[in-house]
Amino acid sequence: METYEAVLEALGDSTRRRIVDMLRRSGPSSVAELAARLPVSRPAVSQHLTVLRRSRLVTYEESGTRNVYRVDPTGMRDLRAWMDGFWQEALDTYAEAARKDAAQADQSSMAMRKGLPDE
Amino acid sequence: MSEQANDTMPIRKTVTVPVTPQRAFELFTARIGEWWPLATHSVGEDQATGVVFGEGIGGSIVESLADGTTSVWGTITGWDPPHGVVYTWHAGTPVTEATSVEVTFTPGEQGHTVVELVHSGWDSRPDGSAARAGYETGWNPVIKHYARFAAVSGLPARAM
Repeated sequence: METYEAVLEALGDSTRRRIVDMLRRSGPSSVAELAARLPVSRPAVSQHLTVLRRSRLVTYEESGTRNVYRVDPTGMRDLRAWMDGFWQEALDTYAEAARKDAAQADQSSMAMRKGLPDE
Repeated sequence: MSEQANDTMPIRKTVTVPVTPQRAFELFTARIGEWWPLATHSVGEDQATGVVFGEGIGGSIVESLADGTTSVWGTITGWDPPHGVVYTWHAGTPVTEATSVEVTFTPGEQGHTVVELVHSGWDSRPDGSAARAGYETGWNPVIKHYARFAAVSGLPARAM
């Protein structure tokens, strides 16, 4: 599975979106700190963090006996790269249409010139 | 600039086309149905039958589907032909949760036109009293947009 697909699946859950938002706003946090602000148990938060870590939306460091989680930019970057490709492809087809349009305009103006009598 | 800031920075795309700004604007808007890659870039995919770009502020960008239904992709919020057009981008989501796309048409060399597309509004709401309410809604448009496109088969992820 591509990273952006994993990111989409991970962010399809509202609790996980809140966890990512909390880490973005409040900075690195422990599982206990996150659980204290969420209506779910600490083990549930840990499970969500595992999903987020696999999709590279969060990462962690061991700090003494606890893990401190923070945002990993990799997941969002892959997702944005994919969206970036979406607009690139759309603009490419647009530019192709514009080139054809310009070529047709050239041809019809040549045809008109040819059609003029006594040129 | 931090990595995290990059998450919410606008996406910018530029292309130069060999037509006048007037023509480039018309092609991008009124004639979108002639070039938009519907098969891969739409809500209905192979069920999509067309897309129409409205004219003027308040107009909509609407995809039509084979079953007769429609899907609104966005609403025009700025209309200044041939210089530029601004529209919300909210495929299947409420207007209040939309991101924003601005397309400008600038005269280039040899009668060509430089077309720049800026897709912004990725930022979730600023901290403060609205922040908590923003937790849910701030993400929704982004996720839904991505999800729409994720459903599209055969659209590859592009490595940067």
